[in-house]
Amino acid sequence: MRKHIIAITAALMLSTTAYAAEPGVTDTEIKVGDVNIMTGPASFIGRAVAVGSKIAAAEINAAGGVNGRKIVVVTEDDGYIPARSFQALTKLIEVDGIFALNGTSGTANVLAMMPLITENNLPTVVTTAPNELVYKPVRPSVFTVGASYSDAFYGQLKYIHDNLVKEGGVYGLIRQDDDFGGAIEHGYERAVKEFGLKDAMRLRYKKGTANFAAEMAQMKQAGVNVLANGGIIAGAANILGEARKLGMDMQVAGVWSEDMPPSVNLSAPAGYDYLVADYVALNGPAVDAFLEKAKQFASADEIAAINRYTYITYVGLKVLANAMAQCGQDLTRACTIEKLKATNGFDAGGLTAPISFDNEQQLSGTAVAVYQLNAKDKTFKALTDFVEY
Amino acid sequence: MRTGHYKESLGQLVALTDSPTVKAWSIGLVVVLLAAPFAIGNYGLTLMVSALIAVIGAVGLNMLTGTTGLISLGQAGFLAVGAYTNAILLADFGWPVWLSLPAAGIAAAIVSIIVGIPSLRLKGLYLAITTLAFAFIINHIILYAEWLTHGPNGVFVTGATLFDIDLQKGKPLYYLTLGITILTILAALNISRTRIGRAWMAIRDHDIAARVMGIDLVRYKLLAFMCSSFIVGIAGALISLQIRFVNIDVFALILSIEALAIIILGGLGSIAGAVLGAVFLSFLPEAIRLFFTAFVDPNSTFYTSYVFEIRGVVYGVVIVVFLRFVPDGLIGLWRNVRKYWSNWPLAY
Repeated sequence: MRKHIIAITAALMLSTTAYAAEPGVTDTEIKVGDVNIMTGPASFIGRAVAVGSKIAAAEINAAGGVNGRKIVVVTEDDGYIPARSFQALTKLIEVDGIFALNGTSGTANVLAMMPLITENNLPTVVTTAPNELVYKPVRPSVFTVGASYSDAFYGQLKYIHDNLVKEGGVYGLIRQDDDFGGAIEHGYERAVKEFGLKDAMRLRYKKGTANFAAEMAQMKQAGVNVLANGGIIAGAANILGEARKLGMDMQVAGVWSEDMPPSVNLSAPAGYDYLVADYVALNGPAVDAFLEKAKQFASADEIAAINRYTYITYVGLKVLANAMAQCGQDLTRACTIEKLKATNGFDAGGLTAPISFDNEQQLSGTAVAVYQLNAKDKTFKALTDFVEY
Repeated sequence: MRTGHYKESLGQLVALTDSPTVKAWSIGLVVVLLAAPFAIGNYGLTLMVSALIAVIGAVGLNMLTGTTGLISLGQAGFLAVGAYTNAILLADFGWPVWLSLPAAGIAAAIVSIIVGIPSLRLKGLYLAITTLAFAFIINHIILYAEWLTHGPNGVFVTGATLFDIDLQKGKPLYYLTLGITILTILAALNISRTRIGRAWMAIRDHDIAARVMGIDLVRYKLLAFMCSSFIVGIAGALISLQIRFVNIDVFALILSIEALAIIILGGLGSIAGAVLGAVFLSFLPEAIRLFFTAFVDPNSTFYTSYVFEIRGVVYGVVIVVFLRFVPDGLIGLWRNVRKYWSNWPLAY
């Protein structure tokens, strides 16, 4: 009897010890966490992110999973509040026992989670907040996909300067008074210096400001005919609405959030064919192929929620799964991080430029393409390919 | 059997309670709280720490709004002052945590004088708007004083160790927060029974009558602001220790609204009410989450599309229902239950 007990205990121990050291990994599944904005005004971003993870996981699982293990995505809401992001990630680590993290909410949110991420050596792919603060200083387990707002604005202003307003350009900037606005101003400053642009005015506003009548009146008085619009969603739309009321004829460079359908619906009525620069493809065969795939794995409601954040989160999980697959059966966080760090030229199917993390900052997808809106039919056309600035 | 208010010694007069039942329950609760870290996981501890910080903040606000009758929407600002003071002193100046924590409270108390002085002639909504403006001003100062606060980049909080024990996570953080919570509650209970506490209540009930009775309104209102802000500043410092990162987004205006909701839901003017309200609202989202986890398939489309929004709505509805049907707050509900069973079977 005693021998039987010892044998059974030994067998049980052998069957569990292989993965006991790695949370979130069993013989049949791998848990990947996703902390996101599922409630509040920005919830359309979180929903898009969740759909991206879901489609990627479903596709990977349909193809046999990661070395036979299915990916299970566990989503937690943070309502875009950093304190809740911290709590949500604590829950994902302690209660759900996730192996890795794919969705990471906004910049302040991912920074609030950073001590937990580094402490747990959690393989993390940041796709929705490619802010410099996230990858400088570099954290060994954190890999960032995305261009900087600075490069995005520099790229647009370069395009405008080279192609749309070759002479007589009077430039103005309006931006939020936070880290995000600071990054935009950095790109604006670079363009002003490199191209010798006439910098007429720079204005800051507080996040959440809704009325821009005074700001745009000042812009008009300064003769601004190229606007770097650092507003997002309703803010950007209100800025353009005020400009239209004042009859301003101008070229506009915008934030990449302005290429999402909800933003376009708000901004298009002002009638400006504004530019955006994005590290994610907005149209073309890659997007068509993705949408076709989405029909297989997502419901009609989920497909309706798809936007650029869906594509980039999809790419994030795919590159994470690729690294995990290279680790074989003995999947560990350390191995996944090592493989992520060695990633070079991972094909994102054209949704972004190929992903390579084998650089000092573990940063990829920094190339941006410039697009222009057709305000009448609310579609975008690509003006450039993905270019590194 | 207890015979009412007959006291035979000074000790009996100054005792916080003369009820053996209350004493037994209090000791029992403290024992349970002390043992809790050994029974719950790290996530449970995180929730407990958040709840305890909410208790400290609510007791602080209750001192100002519940006891003195001065409505404040500037709590997010005081929290930010406390959190930033603690974070900067620890991370940038290398102060020990036993100095940075009280410094956070003192900084918030000093700042509260600046808000308190112009607020002395204001009451009700006018005061609420003034304190709200203060929260915005603090926000701006933090953003623009980059040389000190790191502006929008925020501060990573490191170096909070005492005797080589890291006070920023797990059991040490829990016991630190629990200790401060107990001290805060005891301090608030005692202050409310002193001349200062009675003066605050007199100001709340009728400030002109209080003045006629010889209460110096300037002094006591400022004192209320300072005491309340000191406590809220400490709560802010604890938030910075727990999250280990502070920037202005952590101290959104919604925190001020939630703080008011906590003390109204708990029962305005009651320290026990503030505690109950803080605990209730801290654990409500978790209770709702557990409910949905138990009854909704997490792999369903409904879950990924709507469940989080519904959870948010349920949270709001529960608060509205409580305010509508339990106007005296949770403490009022508790008193009614206690009264019913004390008089049972003759309850009416």
